[in-house]
Amino acid sequence: MKIRFQGVGKEFRVRGAERPFTALHDVDLDVRAGEFLTLVGPSGCGKSTLLDLLAGLAAPTTGRILLDGVPVEGPGLDRGIVFQQYALFPWRTALSNVEFGLEAKAVPRKERAERARSYLDLVGLSGFEDRYPHELSGGMRQRVAIARSLAFDPDVLLMDEPFAALDAQTRESLQEELLRIWQKTGKTVLFITHGIDEAVYLGQRVAVMTSRPGRIKRILDVEFDSREGDLRADPRFGEYRHEVWTLLRDEVAAARAEEAVSVG
Amino acid sequence: MASVSAGASAARTPSAASQGASHPSAPVPDVLREAVAEASRQGDAGPGTALRLLRGSARAAVAVGRRTVAVAALAALWEVLPRLEAVDPTFLPPLSEVVVAWWDLLLSGQLLDHTQASLVRSLAGFALAIVVAIPLGLLIGWYKPLADLLNPLLELFRNTAALALLPVFVLILGLGETSKISIILYACAWPILLNTIAGVKGVDPLLIKSARSMGLRPLRLFQKVILPAAVPTVFTGVRLAGAYSILVLVAAEMVGAKAGLGYLINYAQFNFRVPDMYAGIITISVLGLAFNQLLVRLERRFSTWRTS
Ligand SMILES: Nc1ncnc2c1ncn2[C@@H]1O[C@H](COP(=O)(O)OP(=O)(O)OP(=O)(O)O)[C@@H](O)[C@H]1O
Ligand SMILES: [Mg+2]
Repeated sequence: MKIRFQGVGKEFRVRGAERPFTALHDVDLDVRAGEFLTLVGPSGCGKSTLLDLLAGLAAPTTGRILLDGVPVEGPGLDRGIVFQQYALFPWRTALSNVEFGLEAKAVPRKERAERARSYLDLVGLSGFEDRYPHELSGGMRQRVAIARSLAFDPDVLLMDEPFAALDAQTRESLQEELLRIWQKTGKTVLFITHGIDEAVYLGQRVAVMTSRPGRIKRILDVEFDSREGDLRADPRFGEYRHEVWTLLRDEVAAARAEEAVSVG
Repeated sequence: MASVSAGASAARTPSAASQGASHPSAPVPDVLREAVAEASRQGDAGPGTALRLLRGSARAAVAVGRRTVAVAALAALWEVLPRLEAVDPTFLPPLSEVVVAWWDLLLSGQLLDHTQASLVRSLAGFALAIVVAIPLGLLIGWYKPLADLLNPLLELFRNTAALALLPVFVLILGLGETSKISIILYACAWPILLNTIAGVKGVDPLLIKSARSMGLRPLRLFQKVILPAAVPTVFTGVRLAGAYSILVLVAAEMVGAKAGLGYLINYAQFNFRVPDMYAGIITISVLGLAFNQLLVRLERRFSTWRTS
């Protein structure tokens, strides 16, 4: 499923302020079907807002978002979201959390359990079906959340800094797992991150946003001769990394300046 | 006047107990279970099994002992101080006399009759409060315009002591069962109502967002997210209401009742049957404690998923 943002803008009404607050301005972005696109940008530039719009949880102020040519009207099971803070239901076990989306999709009970089990297995969590979220580690919780989003088989996977709260080892193993799953399922993935390394490692393309009001500043093609072996040791990895870093540096500086003005 | 203050201090016991009971430490049966588990961990009955069992049960006994030491000390003081005439035994007879009085009341069947009358009132008011307050609280918590409309009213009433309204209830509903059950219903409804509202409003917005992103419509959202997320908070309200149902009961039964533990306490005091009075007070304390324990158990079962 391909995604197209056309001149998308989003304004928020803020209490006590006269003018509305512009979070996004004129965003144009195309994500190809089956593509893994990573999105980086300075904090507060509107990445999460963009994702909310695509998820149909909020409506854009201007422009429109098309999924295979059809405008987004609201939330739907064709898009699965993985939030930064996991957002698991604490009263449900791992298995029953994964079943949640399947219930919404009205999958019969027996098939539900089977499918949930197989997706927990896919993210390496068989044996943890009956654990409650508070009985799982951060990395495990995030894997349950990923399994939950995969289980109802959405065409698009939207991920908002899903690995930000994890330690380096867990993050790397989840990154690999995610790539494996993506290659296996052929889903379109939009992955938001703060990490330049993560963006370059995961993305076929890296989209860099400007500071607020957010726009797409540049889209970088990331191509390696081979993805085998330690990608991070590839000299081209360093080059891409440096390029994204340079693009971001100016924007982060701009964002800082803006903050300093609005605070002072 | 003495009876009122005595009754009030006894009635306060359940709420104090509720604070103690909600402490996360395991109740006695758990300790015992641990001891047995510890003993059976050895598996096949080796030579060490008996020793282990002994050690395990010794540890359990110590744990039980620690829990009862304060109560035992109070009982001892109650027995000794009146006997030494450090306090006037006419007003505070030794515990043993109270126990004898309690036993006589039990044998004569009076105690059972009074307890039954009290329990029926308490449970009726408590159950009705649950039936009324939970749906109302869910509605108010969920439907914001209603919450905005009713909030000033809720603030006003929650800060009015239920017992201050007892005369009003008696005036309007008479001295019979209706007014007694109504005042208990009224007192119990508040903690349930306020906690239910808080529970519904306090649901993590991220969970709502997450469920909404999976296409849940408002009604399903309510059923699958809001309701289960609110259960523990609602239950806290129910537990508080359980304590209130006993607390208010005593006061309600001191006005124009012909049966009930509150009546027994009041009547005994009036006729200067001081040991009977204390027997009534002890009974109501134990009743409150037992009710609270029951609700705490239930609460724990309904919120196993809670971290704390
Ligand atoms: N509901 C809202 N009302 C008002 N302002 C909002 C709202 N949601 C977001 N914003 C503002 O919009 C801007 C973009 O927010 P957003 O959460 O999309 O940033 P972000 O790029 O995801 O940042 P981060 O990287 O820190 O997560 C921020 O300045 C934020 O303050
Ligand atoms: Mg964000």
